[in-house]
Amino acid sequence: MIEVKNLSKTFKVHTKEPGFIGSVKSLFSRKYIHKEALKNINLQINDGEIIGLIGSNGAGKTTLTKILSGIIHPTNGEVSVLGFDPWQRDNRYREQMALIMGQKAQLWWDLPALDGFLLLKEIYQIPEAQFNKSLDYLSECLMIKDQLKVQVRKLSLGERMKVELMAALLHNPKVVFLDEPTIGLDLTAQKAVREFIKQYRKEFNPIMILTSHYMEDIEELCERVVIMKEGSFIYDGSLNEIKQQFAKTRLIKASLNQSPDNIESLKASLALDDSSITISDNEIAIHSPREKVMEYSAKLLNTCSIKDLSIQEEDIGEIIETIMREGKAQ
Amino acid sequence: MRYVKLYIHFLRFSFSKAMQFRVDFFFRVFMDIVFYLVQFLFFNVLYLHTNTLGGWNLEQMSIFIAGYIFIDALNMTLFSTNCWWFPFYINRGDLDYYLTKPVSSLFFLSLREFAANSFLNLLIAIGLLTYMLQTYSAPLSAGTVVIYVFLLIVGTFLYHLLHLLFLLSVFWTGSPRGFGDVYFAGVHVLERPDRIFKGFTRFVFLYILPFSIMASYPARFLFNENPIEVLITIGLITTAFFCITLFVWKRGLKVYSSASS
Repeated sequence: MIEVKNLSKTFKVHTKEPGFIGSVKSLFSRKYIHKEALKNINLQINDGEIIGLIGSNGAGKTTLTKILSGIIHPTNGEVSVLGFDPWQRDNRYREQMALIMGQKAQLWWDLPALDGFLLLKEIYQIPEAQFNKSLDYLSECLMIKDQLKVQVRKLSLGERMKVELMAALLHNPKVVFLDEPTIGLDLTAQKAVREFIKQYRKEFNPIMILTSHYMEDIEELCERVVIMKEGSFIYDGSLNEIKQQFAKTRLIKASLNQSPDNIESLKASLALDDSSITISDNEIAIHSPREKVMEYSAKLLNTCSIKDLSIQEEDIGEIIETIMREGKAQ
Repeated sequence: MRYVKLYIHFLRFSFSKAMQFRVDFFFRVFMDIVFYLVQFLFFNVLYLHTNTLGGWNLEQMSIFIAGYIFIDALNMTLFSTNCWWFPFYINRGDLDYYLTKPVSSLFFLSLREFAANSFLNLLIAIGLLTYMLQTYSAPLSAGTVVIYVFLLIVGTFLYHLLHLLFLLSVFWTGSPRGFGDVYFAGVHVLERPDRIFKGFTRFVFLYILPFSIMASYPARFLFNENPIEVLITIGLITTAFFCITLFVWKRGLKVYSSASS
């Protein structure tokens, strides 16, 4: 279980005016600004749960991940992960935790991944049998068996991410921090990584915190999401609820058998007062309130001769973007 | 013993890497042999004008030189490359992964790269030292020689600790240079017999920046000059600097905010 209470983190950063004069000035007198990366965060994650951490760059996602994994000290607040204070860096904690950063590699560049794994086996003191079992399982799931003896720097970005995932999971951690594991990957590789995480969860069920800018990652893997903005949580709840709460409209799209003669009279005869309707050629699009979707669809079917009809959910990415922009939820 | 196993992995990795660059490999060895010759030549010239320096005759001085060459080679082989990388790990935030592993991060940072191309130099240094010890005119017991070599190894360790201590300033200054360069000035002190320094300078080089302890004190032990006092001093100073380094490291980690990704 992860428990975070009133967590804050402030960084002290010095500023410098541009140019040479600015550099000389900053040598003698420095102006510091205090950047609040996390403001009074509260969070609880139960065993086996996975949450998606969303937010724009600089929202504090990485800072939170680094505090939970024990890399940096918080300024204030209490944190307990599996019953440990992460920044005490107790070996018993570190043995049960894994951190994967999409932008940073842990395996040694010049060596084949397998060499790196052997080193990790020693570091985590993984028994031979368990090591071989994990190795087989992970390399099979990720379909990377033939690449383990190739120098890491000669692997493609997608393959490199896969071996990084293997490296992080060999010791069968109970809590896993995934910081943008699909960053920069092509669609196929992204999908492969997602599928793998899904399967891995089914098998081992660790606590996971997933940070990603790709909504597909979040949608497919997480039921619960936390949205961050400027160091605070602006939403913490289920992904479905976001849809319920914020996706107020649905899009009804219809193709007509022939273009309407008079667009204005068609609009009038449909009489959809509280919806926006656009008609172009033989396409009609209606942004309808959720509860009126049936009624409007029926009206449409009665009024026009329709070739094709579809009802779409609002894009979750767009909803979240709106929430982040407006900064209000909960 | 787990750390020994880890180190064997480091060795394996480093050798396979070093062998890829053959020219570099042999050139380094050649350069260092020239460096060693210059050291001996320098003192041989000095002894044309005097019979003793810092209380030692040429024969004893030659052992002392071989001793610090051994320290230098051992340091180059085990620690030097790692120290070079150290500030980069901190500034680029690479320390992150080390901190999440259930082993000593300092062990990792100090020893992960074994300089295989300096290893040949270490063999040469061992050869030199053996030769000097064998041709020494006064009798030396086997036990004394063993302790002497052990003290040289301790000296190397102290040398590394001091280097680390200077490098750790990077947590606060953000710059890999500055304090680090002070250390390189200290290297010259290591290469001189401790007794040529007097008064305050001597105090500094024995207790504050203990470069004079590293090679000179083991030599004094070998030549039976207050051996008990020598042993105690080496033991205390090394322990003290070990604790200080650990303390500063822990403080540094608190400051370490790690470059955001």
